Amino acid sequence: MAEQSTAGWVGTNYRRKQDPRFLTGRGRYTDDIDLPGMLYGAILRSPHAHARIKSVNVEAAEKLPGVIAVLTGERAAQMCEPLPAVIALPGMRLNKSHAIAADKVRWVGEAVAAVAAQSRYIAEDALELIEVEYESLPAIVTIEQALAPDAAHLYEEWGTNVAMEHAFRTGDVDQALHEADLVVDESVAHHRYTGAPLEGRAVLADYDRITGELTAYISTQAPHQCRTLLAQILRIPEQKIRVIAPAIGGGFGNKLQVYDEVTPCLLSMATGRPVKWAESRSENLLAGVHSRDYVCGLKIGFRKDGTILGVKAKLVGNVGCDGTNRAAGIGALAVAAAYIPGPYKITNYAVEVTGVVSNKAPYGAYRGYGKDVANFPMERVLDIAARKLGISPREIRERNFIQPDEFPYQQCAGPVYDSGDYPACLRRALQMIDYDRVREEQARLRAAGRYIGVGFAAMLEPSGGAVPNCIFNGYEAATVRVTPQGGVTLLTGIQDIGQGVETTLAQIVADELSISPEDIKVIFGDTAMVPYGLGSWSSRGAAYGASCALMATRKVKDKILKIGGYLLKTRAEELELKGGKVASRDNPSRALSIAEIAKQLYLFPGPYLTLPEGLEPNLEATAYWTSPVVRWAPDEQGRLSIYTTHPSATFAALVEVDVATGHVKLLRFVIAHDAGTLINPMVVDGQIHGGVVQGISGALWEELKYDEAGNLLNPTFQDYLVPVAADLPDIEVAHLVSPSPFTPVGAKGMGEGGAIGSPAAVVNAVEDALAPFGVTIRGMPLTPERVLSLIREAASAPGARAAG
Amino acid sequence: MSTITVTVNGVVYREEIEPRLLLVDFLRDNLCLKGAHIGCEDGVCGACTVIVAGRAAKSCMMFAVQADGVEILTVEGLAQGARLHPIQEAFTEQHGLQCGFCTPAMVLSTYQLLARNPDPTAEQIRRGISGNICRCTGYTNIVKAVAAAAVKLRGAKASDAS
Repeated sequence: MAEQSTAGWVGTNYRRKQDPRFLTGRGRYTDDIDLPGMLYGAILRSPHAHARIKSVNVEAAEKLPGVIAVLTGERAAQMCEPLPAVIALPGMRLNKSHAIAADKVRWVGEAVAAVAAQSRYIAEDALELIEVEYESLPAIVTIEQALAPDAAHLYEEWGTNVAMEHAFRTGDVDQALHEADLVVDESVAHHRYTGAPLEGRAVLADYDRITGELTAYISTQAPHQCRTLLAQILRIPEQKIRVIAPAIGGGFGNKLQVYDEVTPCLLSMATGRPVKWAESRSENLLAGVHSRDYVCGLKIGFRKDGTILGVKAKLVGNVGCDGTNRAAGIGALAVAAAYIPGPYKITNYAVEVTGVVSNKAPYGAYRGYGKDVANFPMERVLDIAARKLGISPREIRERNFIQPDEFPYQQCAGPVYDSGDYPACLRRALQMIDYDRVREEQARLRAAGRYIGVGFAAMLEPSGGAVPNCIFNGYEAATVRVTPQGGVTLLTGIQDIGQGVETTLAQIVADELSISPEDIKVIFGDTAMVPYGLGSWSSRGAAYGASCALMATRKVKDKILKIGGYLLKTRAEELELKGGKVASRDNPSRALSIAEIAKQLYLFPGPYLTLPEGLEPNLEATAYWTSPVVRWAPDEQGRLSIYTTHPSATFAALVEVDVATGHVKLLRFVIAHDAGTLINPMVVDGQIHGGVVQGISGALWEELKYDEAGNLLNPTFQDYLVPVAADLPDIEVAHLVSPSPFTPVGAKGMGEGGAIGSPAAVVNAVEDALAPFGVTIRGMPLTPERVLSLIREAASAPGARAAG
Repeated sequence: MSTITVTVNGVVYREEIEPRLLLVDFLRDNLCLKGAHIGCEDGVCGACTVIVAGRAAKSCMMFAVQADGVEILTVEGLAQGARLHPIQEAFTEQHGLQCGFCTPAMVLSTYQLLARNPDPTAEQIRRGISGNICRCTGYTNIVKAVAAAAVKLRGAKASDAS
């Protein structure tokens, strides 16, 4: 579709421009920034999951020396508006919530008061002096409790705890299931966990009472949306707000919201002084956004040979107290509905989705955003079905894959897949894990009483989402400017959150202008500097960020050639830009460097002697990129298409299970991945490594556990188990390259895929290891306790097989 | 209030502080050395690691008064002007960092590991950096970076000796 750019810097492991800052401790994260007169904020959080606030007494806190201001929910409500919805699709119920609760709390961790003081120590002392009287209400923790006929309602005005309902149907599923040789009907669950970026949420708000202007440093992936939301919430005209997102210490989707972020701004408005709030780890785990937490029933009809005839899915997600206003997490369930068919040819498909609210933390985005929800149940059930059909996990997938000659492929639920070679990814992963040898080894070890297993997951990673009626929309902006000295700045709406766009976008611009990335400064994360853009989420940097950077650069290149041609008295068509110089194709000695052209245009002799008619005196251009394949108007079947690219992969995990202790040891993990054109392979590998480990960790260790009263039982890194290096093997990555025809660079993205397919690969491997015990796994994480109880249950099941 | 004297990156500081002040806050707020980061305040994540009296220490687990009379090395003391320390070079060459939040501490834990064991195996590297959490990299490239740093440092030592 679009002309592919020629390679030069693109495709090389260009060393990251930002690294020396981070390596020397000069990263400048929000908490590293201090302003004159700055105060420190702290937030008091509810110890109740569901309760009415009867009274809040702040007298003692206000009297503590060093305390400058104390805000209750009631005072805050006078200063600002409720949190607006950030996603509002048909079938969703929106809620009316405030940054600080005034009348009712809905989860353990909800803000009920806040303090600004001279030090963080004093601010936290003051929290202990605030007395809140609560009237406790029944806690809704599980999906069953939320849907019970006599359940208390989180939002009384709804008359229900159902926050979202969505259904879609295509083909004739009932007939397909009727005709099937085998119908597998399984229900699998995925527990609650989250990204837990090492830098928690942080805000430094600086409100000027005289000018009415607010500058807010925020650790966010989406500074412009923060500005828009803060303007609405704080009743400040948007042009008077500047949001700066400095270095971001990890995001993973967890930094796309504005709720606790409002509070430091309110404290700054109340005091007229800068206020910094950097959350503690416990606040991050208690009150930051969470993800996963769903049950998915799949009823799939197969032919004897493994061909899928039809799929009926029923997905119920527990979105905690909120998935529409504080964060847009609930949309993940709709994304899952569109992608349960995954990389497979499925024509008969029906899905019902329900999102229920409960007294748990808000539901936000986290690496996967529903593509993970689509992946785990399908990849799990395919293995269960393969066993019942007596075919291999490989065969059942190969039987159903969309073939490489079928792209672009219109999937049944709406998406249009761009390109890929799914069978080749699978073959490559099998080869990397040395499948045949592993099977031999498995048999040999089993005879010796040791249990290794190998598991696969095929994966589709829809990237560059564009959600209608949502702040996570479908365009991106870039401005390219040439300085009078001939250097280049790229201003982008994409945010560097560790994924490296400060370097990779420079590689794109450098190629187009035939200069070095060294000569390019990438500027991001400041709403006063960069055009309105939408930030980093949905792995959109490669599709949206790279495309608009390329488009803006092409516009500037066109100007350089036109002005160069005017000065060289040669038609632009006879010129080329090579090695940073505009030169005549026929006579390369007739040449002017970009620096010479810039200097002449801007300064000496200046525009009146330099410009051909009709051109403005600048070497600058802004471009917006929108996707050629996004379709928001429903087609005749009511389908939308919201993702532009579809990276793909097959994952393979090799594990050993100690059946005496239940311990799962990951021996190897390989992934054969196709992200289209690779801008910087080293950076791509790093993204995949990190995503894979987050998925592995979700499958084995990480779980946000709530008790029946709605208390989060493990809100610290002492007991919320994130992995360290000794827990893991090297992650081995191979690349297949099917460039996307829908993006000008051919790049697809790869930020999330690692986390999408790895849980299924790990669980499938553990089940394979435990095959002699007849274990079927329907939930995670696979802690030693869970593994042992699976073995025990299988042994006591009727018709249990003896291990051996 | 207590008065302490500490030497940080070769500079002697004499400061009056509250006894409850954590060492990490002292470094960050009193001395404006922002390279030690706060990731958990529980002694788990290791983002606040600095070298105290020659040993890697989690500075959120120490009071500043405990550092009285002690020498501390922070990440700000590693590079020579604009020239990165070989460990820092190895991290950028091997793409051993992404968001960079864990990085200064990871570099200092590597500094201690390689001082004790100049030629560690991959497994020894993995154990040696297991006091530091990284959420971005999955550790694969950090392990490579530490191994590459070991080679660089052994090379530097050999050329010093010759």
